[in-house]
Amino acid sequence: MRRAHLLGLGFMTPALIIVFLFFLAPVVLTAVFSFTSMSSGTGISGGAYEINEQTLRSLTDRGFPKAKSEKLGHDLYRIGEEGLGAVEADFGKAFADEIRAELSGELFEGRRDLERELKKLRSRPRSIRDLKKAADLFKRSVLNTRFESETAFLDGVGETGVELTADDQAVLVKTAYTGWSWTTANYELITSMASTWRAAKNTAFYVLLTLSFNVGFGLFLAITTFYLPKGQAAIFRAIWILPRILPPVLYVMMWKWLTWDTGFLSIFLSNFGVEPRNWMLNSDINAWVCIVLINGFVGASLGMILFSSALRAIPPSMLAASEVDGANRWQQIRHILLPQLQWPILFTTSYQTLSLLTSFDYIYLSTDGGPGRSTEVWALYTFHTALNNYGGVLQYGLGAALALVLVVIGIAASLFYLRLFKFNELVSQPRIEQ
Amino acid sequence: MSSNFRSWPMTLLLGFLSLPIIVMMVYLFVDTVTDTTAGSLIPDRFTLEHWRFLFDAPQAGRSNIWSVTLNTFIFACSTSAIVVMTSLTSGYALSRLNMPYRRLLLGGVLTLHAFPTVTLIISIFLMLQMTGLYNSLLGVILVKTALELPLGIWVMKGFYDTVPWEIEMAGLTDGASRFTVWRRLVLPQVHPGLAALGLFSFLAAWSEYILPQVLAPDGASQVLATYLQNLIKDDRAPDFNMFKSVGLFYAMPVMIIYLIFNQKLMNIYGGGTKG
Amino acid sequence: MTKFTHFLRQTTAVAVLGLASALSGQALAKDLTITVWAGGTNDADIYRLDAIEMAADILSREWEIRGEDLNITVDKKRDFAGWAEFKQAVTLAAESGSAPNIVVTSHLDIAPWSQAGLIVPVEDYVDMDSWPLNNIYDNLMEITSYNGIVYGLPQDAESRPFFFWRDTMKAIGYSDEEIDALPAKVEAGEYTFANILEDGKKALEMELVQPGYGFYPRPSNGPDYAQFYQSFGGQLQDSETGKLVLDKQAMTDFYQFFADAVEAGLTRKNHIGTEWDQWYAEVASGKAAMWHGGTWHYARYTGKEGLDDFFGNIQFSLIPAGNENGRANTITHPLAYLLTAQEDEEAIEIAAQLIKIASEPRINTLHAIKSAHLGISHEQSNIELYANDRWAAEATERLLPHANAQPNHLNYGKFSEAMFKGLETAWTGTKTPAEAVAEVEAELTAVLGDDLIVR
Repeated sequence: MRRAHLLGLGFMTPALIIVFLFFLAPVVLTAVFSFTSMSSGTGISGGAYEINEQTLRSLTDRGFPKAKSEKLGHDLYRIGEEGLGAVEADFGKAFADEIRAELSGELFEGRRDLERELKKLRSRPRSIRDLKKAADLFKRSVLNTRFESETAFLDGVGETGVELTADDQAVLVKTAYTGWSWTTANYELITSMASTWRAAKNTAFYVLLTLSFNVGFGLFLAITTFYLPKGQAAIFRAIWILPRILPPVLYVMMWKWLTWDTGFLSIFLSNFGVEPRNWMLNSDINAWVCIVLINGFVGASLGMILFSSALRAIPPSMLAASEVDGANRWQQIRHILLPQLQWPILFTTSYQTLSLLTSFDYIYLSTDGGPGRSTEVWALYTFHTALNNYGGVLQYGLGAALALVLVVIGIAASLFYLRLFKFNELVSQPRIEQ
Repeated sequence: MSSNFRSWPMTLLLGFLSLPIIVMMVYLFVDTVTDTTAGSLIPDRFTLEHWRFLFDAPQAGRSNIWSVTLNTFIFACSTSAIVVMTSLTSGYALSRLNMPYRRLLLGGVLTLHAFPTVTLIISIFLMLQMTGLYNSLLGVILVKTALELPLGIWVMKGFYDTVPWEIEMAGLTDGASRFTVWRRLVLPQVHPGLAALGLFSFLAAWSEYILPQVLAPDGASQVLATYLQNLIKDDRAPDFNMFKSVGLFYAMPVMIIYLIFNQKLMNIYGGGTKG
Repeated sequence: MTKFTHFLRQTTAVAVLGLASALSGQALAKDLTITVWAGGTNDADIYRLDAIEMAADILSREWEIRGEDLNITVDKKRDFAGWAEFKQAVTLAAESGSAPNIVVTSHLDIAPWSQAGLIVPVEDYVDMDSWPLNNIYDNLMEITSYNGIVYGLPQDAESRPFFFWRDTMKAIGYSDEEIDALPAKVEAGEYTFANILEDGKKALEMELVQPGYGFYPRPSNGPDYAQFYQSFGGQLQDSETGKLVLDKQAMTDFYQFFADAVEAGLTRKNHIGTEWDQWYAEVASGKAAMWHGGTWHYARYTGKEGLDDFFGNIQFSLIPAGNENGRANTITHPLAYLLTAQEDEEAIEIAAQLIKIASEPRINTLHAIKSAHLGISHEQSNIELYANDRWAAEATERLLPHANAQPNHLNYGKFSEAMFKGLETAWTGTKTPAEAVAEVEAELTAVLGDDLIVR
């Protein structure tokens, strides 16, 4: 490989590492996760094996022999030599001897009873934790014990004396496992749940409305400031860049202040006899107007800047000539300004379609999808499902599947855009071959 | 622009449409140093009480504003520095160096740019956990960097593209290596781009809310965005004057940058970024 | 750069700690930082965290008397934007092995978190027969247990009553005596949701309240809505099989009530999502005729909202029965102290001691009265601060005996989410109650599978 190659790759390495770790690997992982039942109940890192009341009930449902599950459901503590030996090793001979003398051969259902007996003994350990550990040494059942591996679990079950057929064992292991499993159910859920369709509809609505506002209002700003005297134009451009530059948390807080029932708008309108109300969340329509404006002000400023710089490229002589020809302002806009803006408009449209599709921070901070779920877009719905809901049920698997849908749309659209904007022409060959 | 059009109706119209922003901004400043009687729009008392949060000890279970501010600075500066440094080299490689998969990499940069990492946040969490960076500022910095990098590379590539080939060729003829040429001759040419990108990524990190909220919930790595949002969401203390004071404090660096670099910012954002 | 700062911080911390232990001159000194995170906690609930600090003080004194040195630093954190952000933070932190030692959260988190191994049973670390644990109400202890294992200690109790604005009730024809007797009538099932509709309409017709303010429910999802399901005869969990239950008839009646309330103008169609600030201000100023809330609302009404005479203005009762199938009821949704799984076994043990001490009646009373929650143990009624508080006394007596909790079930969160989503669609008129129930059924059957019984 030539030196320039090495230099080039060397130059790319830091970026490649970061992008790989926090961009590509997550995409791949998301794809993997989307085929699992991962949730906050199963954990991410894998599960354990445990038989508890819940498992016992499920076992019966799944056709596990009732007699065996009942046997597994006993929480038995037997004071025998085996346990006594262990107690002697861990807690000293005196304690073991005392237990042997007082309780030998006894059987306890549940640890609490045994604990109570042990507490009466004189040579018991001082720490209650140690006492419990000592009690656990007499445990002769698997109920409520977490086993980290399948073998340990089956060994434990074996020691209880419950005989398992191969079928029983399979059912038992599957039921007792607390971790996640592979599944395609997430995708079935996505297509069958009404809420995902609602989110899809909301997203389409949101992108369409906001985008039209962004482009339309951005155009309006660019063209009007184009005609204004320089000083005024600069002031208005400066004002309209503010929404873009202010931190979202602060920007949205200011909107809340504007629209709250005790906020500016309500107080101002009360002078005209309008009842104070929450102008952001009072109705679906209020919420949508706010969402579109909040995002639209940010997007319009971007449009404005792009369009303005494109307009500056128009030679002044051309405008002067058209005015001499008697063109009115509308004709000037129509025939000179707009043609100049064709590509910037196309660019803004395609660019913002994608970013609107995947961004949700302004909605999350303002309405959080409300009222009801009327402004919950797909990206926010994904976030709510996977990480952020009142009940704390984090469905990582389903969330990943939802995210993947966006990723696929994103990639497809980007490929389309690369073609649209003639990507090939952007890649000019380096002129130095070294 | 052209004299035969009257401009005042337009000024009026624009002024009217800009009112929401103007009102919000004026009150943002005014409300931090005044009190207003409920139900009125005109402040009637001067007070510095809303700025107490800077000096009072934090309430139990809340973070200290100064350590939060320090965190935010560390977060924004580091992100900016890493983005600039990596974009400087990668942008050059993509713009000028002949290497395998160049087209693919360039296309990849553009495609990545299309979907933000926030939708992948569960997997990102897992990556951070594996690398032991979850719940640390460093983790958030790296993720934010990854998020900003595609744009950074793309912008830097654009700046390198405008550097005349003749400069490099002259350097090579003098016997310097490609690396030396880059460092001595090309880098000084892209200074404006470097400054612009640095500023831009600083602002982007300074504003970030979701990443620190999800990836570093620990008190020790709070930033101003999460600090402010947590105050706002505390439903028993809806004190907009205080929110605004905290908000103004939070936005101070942004405002300063805005005042100094107003025109420059237009150009950077004009370079194309998220909506 | 950050690494460097981090390094600096750590070195400083090590130096300071080193110095401290050198000064104390004890070789066996034990230094420990116990982190406590509390969700949904405002200024009024600060004793959730402070109690742990008080407990740490007591515990280290106990050690000192035994001749051992224990220095506990309690690291308290409550600034989370909301419940959602809190649970997300705890879950992810626990997954990454950096969980706080103690979390204060809803008892409903016990099922998923214990299954995922994020929390450990408290009964493995403390003597459940000892004071003050043996004094805690049994039913609360049951609520913080899962699969028969005690996972957490109840931190507070509460209940979710129905409220009437006295003046409005009087204006539509109730005498003072009748209003005083309302709670008993509700309890007996003589005042039902049909009466609520009727009285609300009257208040509306007489223009005592504005449209939408006849019945003014909680504006967001919460355990409260399970109460209405119960009012109409719904059952959340089948006691025999432990499965969740979708009683279609009860659910339809429950949704129908809200649809009727909207239809009659008692409740706004777009009520859900109303800001809490606005909501509190309105109900505490008599804008609404009837509403429902929580016992802790008392602190807000009489505090920030400035309602001086609570008992003179507001009557409270159980949530009435919906129809002859159901019963008057209320749900208690206690928060619990949970212990997270940690590498350091000793840290768990000390954390367990701390939450045990924090459950002392006297310490818990501080929280109960300050935040207008209810007590957790019998002896609290013998503590003056508690006994002299009219609200705590009356609410405990009127509500708590009839309170039940939502089931600790792995999938209850999904169930409750779906139930509320369905309610929203019926409420906002997107679907008829029957259609909404059908959608809930479809969704729950898909999501829960075997864990659900449909009736």
